[in-house]
Amino acid sequence: MRIPRGALLRSRVVDDPSEVLETVLDERLTGYVVFEPQDALLLGEATRGVVTFEDGIPVLAYDTERDCGGRDGLDGFAVTGPNRVTVHAVDADALAEAHETVEFRVPPGEPARTLAGDERLAERTTAEAPESRRAEGRDQSSVEAFLADAEAIEAIRSEAREEARARAEEWGLDDVLTDQSDSAFGE
Amino acid sequence: MVEAFAVASGKGGTGKTTSTLALGMALAEEYDVTVIDADTGMANLLFHAGLDDADVTLHDLLVEDRDASVEDAVYERFGMSVVPCGTSLAAFEAADPTRLRDVVAELARDTDVLLLDSPAALGSKSAVLPIVLADRIVVVLQPTVPSLSDGLKVQEYAHSYGTDTAGVVFNRVRPDEDVDRIAEQASRYFGGQTLASVPESDAVRAARRAGEPLLAHAPDDAAADAFREAAARLDVRDGDGRDVAERFKRAVVPDRV
Ligand SMILES: Nc1ncnc2c1ncn2[C@@H]1O[C@H](COP(=O)(O)OP(=O)(O)OP(=O)(O)O)[C@@H](O)[C@H]1O
Ligand SMILES: [Mg+2]
Repeated sequence: MRIPRGALLRSRVVDDPSEVLETVLDERLTGYVVFEPQDALLLGEATRGVVTFEDGIPVLAYDTERDCGGRDGLDGFAVTGPNRVTVHAVDADALAEAHETVEFRVPPGEPARTLAGDERLAERTTAEAPESRRAEGRDQSSVEAFLADAEAIEAIRSEAREEARARAEEWGLDDVLTDQSDSAFGE
Repeated sequence: MVEAFAVASGKGGTGKTTSTLALGMALAEEYDVTVIDADTGMANLLFHAGLDDADVTLHDLLVEDRDASVEDAVYERFGMSVVPCGTSLAAFEAADPTRLRDVVAELARDTDVLLLDSPAALGSKSAVLPIVLADRIVVVLQPTVPSLSDGLKVQEYAHSYGTDTAGVVFNRVRPDEDVDRIAEQASRYFGGQTLASVPESDAVRAARRAGEPLLAHAPDDAAADAFREAAARLDVRDGDGRDVAERFKRAVVPDRV
């Protein structure tokens, strides 16, 4: 995913991600926050994720290390302990294109819930989100639009197929794989 | 005959465990059903089935040099044979997921339908084994973009392992949602059939709190009706229990995790 770089506002280490989520909600940030869990770093694991915001409300989540987005992406960098958070402001128009990546979208309250376990903040964020986003993830038209995009769905499927094959090899499960010769792994 | 279904979703909290027990109870009207909590890392089927204090669980069958026999971990509950899994992290770490294959093979000898409650993850060998071992998956979806997207992923994993899709259950459907349209669109991508649309229902949560499957706790609830409908649509296929057991045994699963 490509997010326009934007202007660095601040960077610091926080103990609780809800601090920064609450601050950007209050200041109505349009831009993104990079989360780098410090404990994972100590263990030699690079973990890094990005959440984008529109008027303070989370829009997308993306795990830059595992290259996956949406709720899955959030799970990847939901690590307890201190986080280095870096806050960037981006022009709304510049972000609009990235925000069309539907499969990376998260409901407004989800980052507070997943990254900080902060149900109260999750509810507050949802309540302050625009009407159209309050029912997000449950919004019938966005589900229908998603299912109507056959190309995007095929992209999800073929990526999953490749991932399944690569991991099967890693796990020694390749003997149980079926021979689908349509993939790049065709014999 | 025996057919093994993995009840899967990709995404967490869509209602796999609820569905596993509900489908199990409904199918038990007609078949010999065995339900296994194959979510060995985050087991919670035991809480849904009133088996919190089960002495022997699947974990005890997955360790090296086990003392327990498979039948020690089988509990007759609600007309089904239930194999719960423990919740201790230490037990999970001591467990060798690849032994699941032998346990499933043994259970397959003596039942008509095996339902494997599967993890909400695809990131480890233990998480994918249930869908590797199953004949077909039942995909439990919520009518949301993240859930559909993860459901597609789990289906691709299953298909990669030669596991077909038996059908899709839409769960937690709200009254204002027209799931028929979504189901029709989704059916272009998901195999099998749309088995049911299960409404969001307080009875489901109450059943969970009571430690009973929905069909035992609130058999007249609309969600229970929907699960019975799903079970009725599921065309359980004949298979020779021995063949299945053999196939599980042959599935090449080396020891390293
Ligand atoms: N139709 C429904 N109506 C209301 N609540 C539901 C419904 N289905 C499931 N739930 C509730 O949602 C929660 C998650 O359900 P369940 O444990 O069955 O999901 P799961 O997919 O097995 O979750 P996990 O991924 O954590 O294993 C439970 O509290 C359950 O009671
Ligand atoms: Mg479960």
